[in-house]
Amino acid sequence: MDYLESPMRRWVTLYIPLLCFLVILLFPFYWMAMTSFKPNEELVSRAANPFWIVQPTLAHFERLLFTTAYPQWMWNTILVSVVATFTSLAASVFAAYAIERLRFRGSKQTGLAIFLAYLVPPSILFIPLAAIVFKLGLFDTRWALILTYPTFLIPFCTWLLMGYFRSIPYELEECALIDGATRWQILVKIILPLAVPGLISAGIFAFTLSWNEFIYALTFVSSSENKTVPVGVITELVEGDVYHWGALMAGALLGSLPVAVLYSFFVEYYVSGMTGAVKE
Amino acid sequence: MRNNVNRRDFLKISAGVAAGTATAGMGGEALAQGKPAAGFAYKPEKGAKLRVLRWKRFVQGDEDAFMKNVKAFSDKFGVEVRVDNEGWEDVRPKAAVAANVGSGPDVIYGWFDDPHQYPDKLLDVSDVAGYLGAKYGGWYPVAETYGKRDGKWIGVPLGAAGATFVHRISHVQAAGFKEFPKDLGGFLELCKAMKAKNTPAGFALGNAVGDGNSWVHWLVWSRRQDGQREGTRVINSPETVKALEYAKALYATFVPGTLSWLDANNNKAFLDGQVSITNNGISVYYAAKTSTDAKVKALVADIGHANYPIGPTGKPTELHLFSQAFAFRYSKAPNAAKAFMAFMMEKEQYEPWQQAAIGYITQPLKAYESNPIWTVDPKHTPYRDCVKNMTAHSHAGKLGYASAAAMADFIMVNMVAEAASGSKSPKEAAERAQARAQRYYKV
Repeated sequence: MDYLESPMRRWVTLYIPLLCFLVILLFPFYWMAMTSFKPNEELVSRAANPFWIVQPTLAHFERLLFTTAYPQWMWNTILVSVVATFTSLAASVFAAYAIERLRFRGSKQTGLAIFLAYLVPPSILFIPLAAIVFKLGLFDTRWALILTYPTFLIPFCTWLLMGYFRSIPYELEECALIDGATRWQILVKIILPLAVPGLISAGIFAFTLSWNEFIYALTFVSSSENKTVPVGVITELVEGDVYHWGALMAGALLGSLPVAVLYSFFVEYYVSGMTGAVKE
Repeated sequence: MRNNVNRRDFLKISAGVAAGTATAGMGGEALAQGKPAAGFAYKPEKGAKLRVLRWKRFVQGDEDAFMKNVKAFSDKFGVEVRVDNEGWEDVRPKAAVAANVGSGPDVIYGWFDDPHQYPDKLLDVSDVAGYLGAKYGGWYPVAETYGKRDGKWIGVPLGAAGATFVHRISHVQAAGFKEFPKDLGGFLELCKAMKAKNTPAGFALGNAVGDGNSWVHWLVWSRRQDGQREGTRVINSPETVKALEYAKALYATFVPGTLSWLDANNNKAFLDGQVSITNNGISVYYAAKTSTDAKVKALVADIGHANYPIGPTGKPTELHLFSQAFAFRYSKAPNAAKAFMAFMMEKEQYEPWQQAAIGYITQPLKAYESNPIWTVDPKHTPYRDCVKNMTAHSHAGKLGYASAAAMADFIMVNMVAEAASGSKSPKEAAERAQARAQRYYKV
């Protein structure tokens, strides 16, 4: 069929749209990178080229890494995101499996209720959650975040995994049941290995949501040593109406790298996970 | 601790959570003036520990001097104090959470009308304010407005991050003005002349919490009389419409793009030479002084500061970022909290701190007008009077969650922006602002 593909058609239908996507997707990274290496003089100057650097500098990274607690914030973010993600995934697997496969009375409504819970915005939930965090004595600890992030991660992951589990043929389980497998064995030895793409896509989503979370991290943590990257950089690098753009962008760039690396490793699983989750 | 949150509470909490502050003199009675304050003595509880939350420094010297004062307090009274810093726009949600869950920092340095949103959760600090006022020449009127509620002090004013009209002296002179105008008419003429010389003015009309709110409140209040329409909600008034017509004429002299400006934009535009007049704190001057770029450093001698011009009201109507300390009733060491707030305002601590903050913070107590920071460099002097020249953002209205929510919703800023840009007529813009404000004031 190649004879139908003229070079012009290929440009119009493939290369140009692809180029547009690439520019839109990569421009924020490019801007972050440019700004983080630009000296302050070039940042405020109208005469300087906004898209290029004449005299690159590492001063912003030096400021970020050696005059702020950025490494500690990064460690906190990693710890909170990883623990919250794995906890949420474990809970979601059980919830999604129960709703999809055990088919108890009201399972559909339960699934819908879990999804609706995801729609409640954190800006409404944080006041009651704050009361609970204080009562449990968790205020200003990383546990405050590790235990509250699942409130929005579990509904999301459960919903995603419900869709994925639905795509796994029921007959596989029936065969296992006939062969004498227990529910636990079915889950661990049959369903989970088949659902790896779904687990990975749910995990990546959960990890990204935790990584970027702002309002709980702002509200439940006060000490600089317990802050996460999104809150820490804003606190430390905005002084009144003076924004240290170079260091802020350096912080954003370094902060986005782990997520970008994670995506790049699992992109294939991620795509198939999403496809599995959405098909009926 | 309260377990039930009804609709009214929710709206109050939301207002507290929102960053920024408020508008309009739409109503309410003027604050009752206070009773004589009870005596105050430094009697912190033995072995007390305090947690203090404050906004993150505007300049490094501020934080260093503040922490030095904190250490002096700890050494003197044996009270351990932990200070947490939060971005200046992020203190409000944390304060609102602390107030509503009944736990958190003992003392918070917040903004504007924060204490008026949860007055029943706060310690009565009338003794501290009375003591400080008597010792240091009294509080400026606006400090009383913000610090008091129903005759009781619920906050100890710290001061304001003041703003002036930062301008290029040579450009003002080139436009034919020997000195910066002191009235609205002269100011408009200056801006027109500067536009003609291609050295335009520029003021933030985006949702800029600090700079945007500051100049638009000044602009509207400059045509209003105190208590003129007490008890009614009158943002949609003939005076407001006149102020908006003035804003439209002024906007025609601005550099393009001010409708999207936030707090940081005018600093950048001024330092880059795009604008020759804007309203700002002392940060622009400080940035020029400390710059390593020769071009920016050369601006230092040419930067001038002038207080906001005075309108038909005949008195200053400036608005600045006003900060005050407040302590919560849940604190296990209320006396230590009071002692801390008082100690930080004593001359031995306050004046060096003001100096270290290089004029960023203007005092709420009259005695500190004589602080050398205001005369060591004549360009600092206009910032000295910022709190003295202030009008509360609620104007004749009562401070509280409605005034906070109205400001957080940028009702005043949006009203001026709509009228200035021509997207609405001044009358329509005032009507829309009134309708938006009524939503909050009805609660």
